Amino acid sequence: MNVLLSWIREFVDVAEPAEEIGRRLSLRGLALEGLEAQGDDWLLDFDVTANRPDCMSVAGIAREIAVVFQRPFRAPHTRLAGAVRTHTAPSMTAPAVSIRIDAPDLCRRYVGAVADVRIGPSPQWMADRLTACGVRPISNVVDITNYVLLELGHPMHAFDHERLAGPAIVVRRAADQETLTTLDGKARTLRGDMLVIGDAARASAVAGVMGGAASEVHSGTTRIVLEAAWFKPQSVRATSKALGLRSEASMRFERGADLTAATVAMARAGELLEQTGAGRITAPFIDVYPEPYAPQPVHLAQPRIAGLLGMAVPEADVERILTALGFQATRSETGWRVIAPGWRVDQHRDVDLIEEIGRHFGFEHLPSTFPGVQQAPQPSDPRIARDQRARRIALARGFSEAISFAFIDARHASPFLAGAAPVALANPLSETFAVMRPSLLPGLLAAVSHNRRHGRRDVQLFEVGTRFSPSGESRALALAWTGLATPDHWSGQRRDVDLFDLKGVVEHLAEAFDAPLTFDLPAAHDLAADVLVPGRAATLHLAGTAVGVLGQATPAVCDGHDMPGTDATYVAELDLDALSRHSGALRMAQPLPRFPAAVRDVALLLDEHLSAAEVRGTILSEAPDTLVSVVEFDRYQGTGIPEGKVSLALRLTYQSRERTLTDAEVDTATDEVVGVLHISLGAVRR
Amino acid sequence: MRINPSIGPDRARAVFDEELQGITTDAALRDLRHRWLARSGSWVAGFMDLLAAAAPAEKKALGRGANELKRHVEQALGDREAALAATKRPEGAVDITLPGRQPSLGFRHPLSLIREQIGDIFSRLGYQVLEGGEIEDDYHNFEALNMPEEHPARDMQDTLYLATPVPPPAVPPPTRGRAPRTPQPLTLLRTHTSAMQIRQMERHDPPVRLVAIGPVYRRDNLDLTHTPMFHQVEGLVVGRGITLADLKGTLTSMATALFGEGQQVRFRPSFFPYTEPSAEVDIRCIRCQGAGCAMCKRTGWIEILGSGMVHPAVFEAVGYDPAEFTGFAFGMGIERVALLKWGVEDIRLFYENDLRFLEQFGR
Ligand SMILES: [Zn+2]
Repeated sequence: MNVLLSWIREFVDVAEPAEEIGRRLSLRGLALEGLEAQGDDWLLDFDVTANRPDCMSVAGIAREIAVVFQRPFRAPHTRLAGAVRTHTAPSMTAPAVSIRIDAPDLCRRYVGAVADVRIGPSPQWMADRLTACGVRPISNVVDITNYVLLELGHPMHAFDHERLAGPAIVVRRAADQETLTTLDGKARTLRGDMLVIGDAARASAVAGVMGGAASEVHSGTTRIVLEAAWFKPQSVRATSKALGLRSEASMRFERGADLTAATVAMARAGELLEQTGAGRITAPFIDVYPEPYAPQPVHLAQPRIAGLLGMAVPEADVERILTALGFQATRSETGWRVIAPGWRVDQHRDVDLIEEIGRHFGFEHLPSTFPGVQQAPQPSDPRIARDQRARRIALARGFSEAISFAFIDARHASPFLAGAAPVALANPLSETFAVMRPSLLPGLLAAVSHNRRHGRRDVQLFEVGTRFSPSGESRALALAWTGLATPDHWSGQRRDVDLFDLKGVVEHLAEAFDAPLTFDLPAAHDLAADVLVPGRAATLHLAGTAVGVLGQATPAVCDGHDMPGTDATYVAELDLDALSRHSGALRMAQPLPRFPAAVRDVALLLDEHLSAAEVRGTILSEAPDTLVSVVEFDRYQGTGIPEGKVSLALRLTYQSRERTLTDAEVDTATDEVVGVLHISLGAVRR
Repeated sequence: MRINPSIGPDRARAVFDEELQGITTDAALRDLRHRWLARSGSWVAGFMDLLAAAAPAEKKALGRGANELKRHVEQALGDREAALAATKRPEGAVDITLPGRQPSLGFRHPLSLIREQIGDIFSRLGYQVLEGGEIEDDYHNFEALNMPEEHPARDMQDTLYLATPVPPPAVPPPTRGRAPRTPQPLTLLRTHTSAMQIRQMERHDPPVRLVAIGPVYRRDNLDLTHTPMFHQVEGLVVGRGITLADLKGTLTSMATALFGEGQQVRFRPSFFPYTEPSAEVDIRCIRCQGAGCAMCKRTGWIEILGSGMVHPAVFEAVGYDPAEFTGFAFGMGIERVALLKWGVEDIRLFYENDLRFLEQFGR
């Protein structure tokens, strides 16, 4: 809200410099956004919060200044009371217009007045003030309505009397599909819930939003009907939104106009008409006001002030502040009975009054105290500690943490949907942010690609975040790795990352969450089958449920993110919610073994298509309980190994809790294992 | 010079010192020792021969001179030997100036660091830390927070809506308050984490003491200071006798923990539909400590969060008696804290995941 200091000084004697006024008001709820010299005057721009339409006016801001600087305020309601009385007194002159409200739920008051006018330019001082405040001067009559709007915050409108059929004013709901050309020259099609000001024949204005072109005041106008009304905020807001039409008037009506100010605004307009020689109101105001303002008194209990603020405010200050703001505060036994003025549409309860008292007494007087604790805190979201554990492991394995937008391009999401529909936004900002991510991997691949395009070949990133599907949200951990397996070092040989580097990390995570994951060939409809290279892809299962993927991202998926080069990018994603649902059994500590372990190495010649899991499974199902570990420590194909075969070396460790095992029994057990491997898998010991 | 004891012990000593100067290897040192100390044919042996043949009157002085020379030579050779040994690499030595073999260790995202720090600060103050869901229903995001349909304050938070609603999460229904008893489909991306606070109050009696942390979404275009997704932390304390002064103490404590000892906070009256009174909170400018600089637009203060006393309408929505309980609430952007704390000038950097950026904030 732009206001001129000279205009403010018409309402309050404040000699202080503009900068100080701005600084002090900023600490009382009206933030100064801008300050600009205008000749020897100052233009102050205040940020007015949505609850304070009364401050969308010179007088409203001047009232706040008067309270802050403790100066008398020349209230327009008071100054113009006499003029209002004169204009509303019964008279012999019959008004040359009839006014009817057909929608009293949307229009609680309509004040009309007929004036004879001579259209011309406004005096320079008025044109200058309007221009400074960002309103274009049009003609003396229109300018006066705008001047009153800026000064008192009450919107006004002027109709050309001759162009009103009747002449009548009917405040009614529009007919569905009714049309009206507004002042900006655009034809508007109205809806049945919109409020219009009509004459006897048609709509002549969208109530509280904009006037109609047909009844517009023009250079030949000699008689006008002035409007000062009150329209229901929700209605004006909905209409303004639906028509995509905002005006100085609609912005004030939708926040709430002062029901008591309609006649005051009209009196001020009449005063300005005469003062500028633009014309004269010729008949009494017509005030259609079926249900006058009757505010509910609010009881303000004195202890409640300190009870809410945590600081005591002296009674004298309470009364000074409320009175200066226009409230009527009368003492009651325990505090005050307070009636709010018509312009304070934000006042409903005692806390609203306490805010007024607190802010004008000064929040700088608040002490610093602490809320007492009455009980132990409720437990925190268990996901926080869980996610932190996942992060710790990823970080320790060299992955840096990424955070990506949760909405992505539909094109990037589509390979990751695994047959489900995307969760699309109804009103996305752009194509880039059109759907909620079904997986963290597209975002992570975009981040890998970004880094590679900016000169990084070796990239290790992870993200912990939310994924979205038509059935809801789930939290996941995703990993992406490309480039070197370990950082370059003078001592070592360079090696690029492979699938088993990433699988090791996933195995660590599974262990940390006590989740016995299995790494299985993807089924045809699995996510892994859609986005990972065949033969280098696994679907991760936990107790029969798919909980993630691991593998090499396909070139098609990488290309979708403009990934430069042809290096393999390995990715994994794990459903953390599924993992934490599964884990949880309290683990008991085991005593350390008291008897030595016996180790046997066995080298086997196997068919190359046989999986390590099958070999391991066969061993574990046949071996005695004393076999405590099986480790594949070498796998070899090439010279000396027949075509189609592979040499797999296993280390078997035996240990008993009761006694020392004899060499003979360990050898026998090993021979039996090898025998079974031979019979069931065709393995030959080398 | 060739061995010539006749020059006398003093001049011989000068000769030795000069010869010692040029010795840099063990072998040369061994040769020098032999030349000066060997049982025969050395300088010292020569002096002994001279001494044996000397006249009784000269014997005493010559003997003392020869002994001093011998002691000096032994001492100097010993010192040089030790000095040479010290410069030598022991067996199996390595070049310790080569870089170490660093195990891989990733970097934390700066937003994640701040988020954890804030969680820790409030855990220490006895708050429960909640995260909640990121998609919400209209009731919990707006209506219960005193923002009914057509409330002008809804303009302050331009909302992103889902094209198709998502079924509500399978949680027990609220035990109190005005919330619909059948859970509503989720239709929008939460614009603040306050929705989580409503859900918590609907299921628990006061006192309440929580912070809700997580991503929130608004229909803001990307620029230097806005992203359509950002992270928020919101605090809520409800009980008997909770005051605005309690909020000031709490926020001062948080600001000190985040930005350093001696932080001050300042309340400026403001407006939020869900608090009354409402205040925007400034901290002392962390760059100029209040003297005034470009970052704080020469005010000495920087706006950091919005806060206030919980509006009675919110209590009524969750079934708390506003005559019995009061509470404070605050909400702060985590990106904003990170921008201020590290002097980051473009908020979009937090979402680019450029390692050159991420590697600046520590592990
Ligand atoms: Zn500063």
